[in-house]
Amino acid sequence: MIYVIDHNDSFTHNVVHQFALFDNVECDNYDKINENKIRQASTIILSPGPGNPKNYPATSKIYKKFKRKKKIIGICLGFQHILFCEGAKIIEQKKIYHGFQSKVKVVSNKSLFKKGQIFKVGRYHSLKLKEPFKSNNFEITMRCLNSKIAMAFENNKEKIYGFQFHPESFLTINGNILIKKILSA
Amino acid sequence: MNKLNHLKEIHKSGKAYIIYKSKKGFNLYTDFSKKIILSNKNIKSFLLKKNKKKSKNTDLFIGFFGYELLNNLIDIKVPKQKNSNFPKGIFYKPEKKIKLSNNFTYDLRNFQSGNFKININKKNYTKIFNKFKKKIKSGETYQIKICTKYKTHSKINPLDFFSRLSKTNLAPEAFMIKDDNYSIISCSPENLITKEGTDISTKPIAGTVKKTKYLNRTKALNYFRKNLKETKEHNMIVDMERNDLSRICKVGSVKLSKQKIVEEYKDLFHYVSLIKGKLKKNINNFEIIKAMMPGGSVIGCPKINTLNLLNNQEKENRNIYTGSFGYIKFNGDMRFNIIIRSILNFKNTSEISVASGVVVDSNANHEFNENFIKAKALIDLFK
Repeated sequence: MIYVIDHNDSFTHNVVHQFALFDNVECDNYDKINENKIRQASTIILSPGPGNPKNYPATSKIYKKFKRKKKIIGICLGFQHILFCEGAKIIEQKKIYHGFQSKVKVVSNKSLFKKGQIFKVGRYHSLKLKEPFKSNNFEITMRCLNSKIAMAFENNKEKIYGFQFHPESFLTINGNILIKKILSA
Repeated sequence: MNKLNHLKEIHKSGKAYIIYKSKKGFNLYTDFSKKIILSNKNIKSFLLKKNKKKSKNTDLFIGFFGYELLNNLIDIKVPKQKNSNFPKGIFYKPEKKIKLSNNFTYDLRNFQSGNFKININKKNYTKIFNKFKKKIKSGETYQIKICTKYKTHSKINPLDFFSRLSKTNLAPEAFMIKDDNYSIISCSPENLITKEGTDISTKPIAGTVKKTKYLNRTKALNYFRKNLKETKEHNMIVDMERNDLSRICKVGSVKLSKQKIVEEYKDLFHYVSLIKGKLKKNINNFEIIKAMMPGGSVIGCPKINTLNLLNNQEKENRNIYTGSFGYIKFNGDMRFNIIIRSILNFKNTSEISVASGVVVDSNANHEFNENFIKAKALIDLFK
């Protein structure tokens, strides 16, 4: 079972439907997290949502508690949330991407995806990862082709993954393939 | 008696009646045997009530949900606002339905009105606009629609107004309600819910351009595609409506069946998408209304945070604006629009609300004027 933590977002149920193609999915809002369900889950998803990771301490608590015990995947705010818990700074950016289709490129040979591969993806983010960022086992694996902003990380050792873009958006081509690969890793 | 005379007869008799756009013309509903005033207390039982099986074409409830009621339905509070005490929602059970053609004329022009006054001036609008722009930069909302309201004292004949409005703008979700103490005249273009059996669809509009001699369909499509603001707003709404349908639909069934196409109407081109899904088993109409309303395209995104930002900002009740009008048949089928481009007449006052979107690259001056252009189409009926 996959457990999705929603952050009152208007895209979370697209995420739920996408993951439900591969496994049973349970979804609760961040103010109603059910740890019993999490214990039964193989994977925890941190959903997109408004605001800044620091606004959601309940989610940080879950991340720290279940890190290394469960596979954890973050999307958009979730991506930022994981990095925030790993000590990163999440900052405003000059150019804002809402409803934007961009090309992202696989930039690392430690990625599950082939280095140099390009994906067309949908973006909805005001904030971004402040770089340089360094943390053990975390590798930035995709970047925006134009702006070079960090678009995905992988921590294959501890099975923690994140996408700054939205694999579930209709603007993302082959989003299901991305998710399938991460889930089977 | 021909149908037009029939309509005039009903109008003259002073009976309450409703007109709603159909595919080929209009349907008129009247001879109401029940009138249900909705509140937070009775809305759930109203939506869950099992009615006897549909056998007649009048086996339905027709009416509207106001904005505040729809907020409360998803546990969002609206702080105390200036309020005209207009009902939060009303539904009627008709006993008679009459089909009307698209061309009905009732030109009486016996109305009185003052000058429309706006509730937020440009200076204050710009302040709100800049405040929301900051909220976009910090990620608290991705898109938000500021509502302005125009009001005047008036005494009007709703049928006169509706027939004139339908001549200039034959909108696919147009409707009119005439009751003893209020009337609504609307040329809403936007369908929020069409439900037949287990099939459900929604058809958001983001992008409208006026037809001209030089602007044909292909050019309109190019205009929308080149317009980055419209494109981004539209994309966001498509993903948001996919999300809302996914709450109530079977996994894998939510499909974008028409993606960013141009629809041509009498005077306008709309940039629309059509999203369809198959309902999960045992989903009831209460859950469907909660998942889909208030319609996201006229609010902004993400819905909950954006509604809270709007409600804390707005000093005056929206009443019907961005609520939904439509019907629920006894067999569970539904059709609902989003109430925009409408005039509410209540207590000798006419009010027209409009909204346009703040996204990160929009401009306060432009959006303020955009709001006025939207309102002007309706204000011009008072000339």
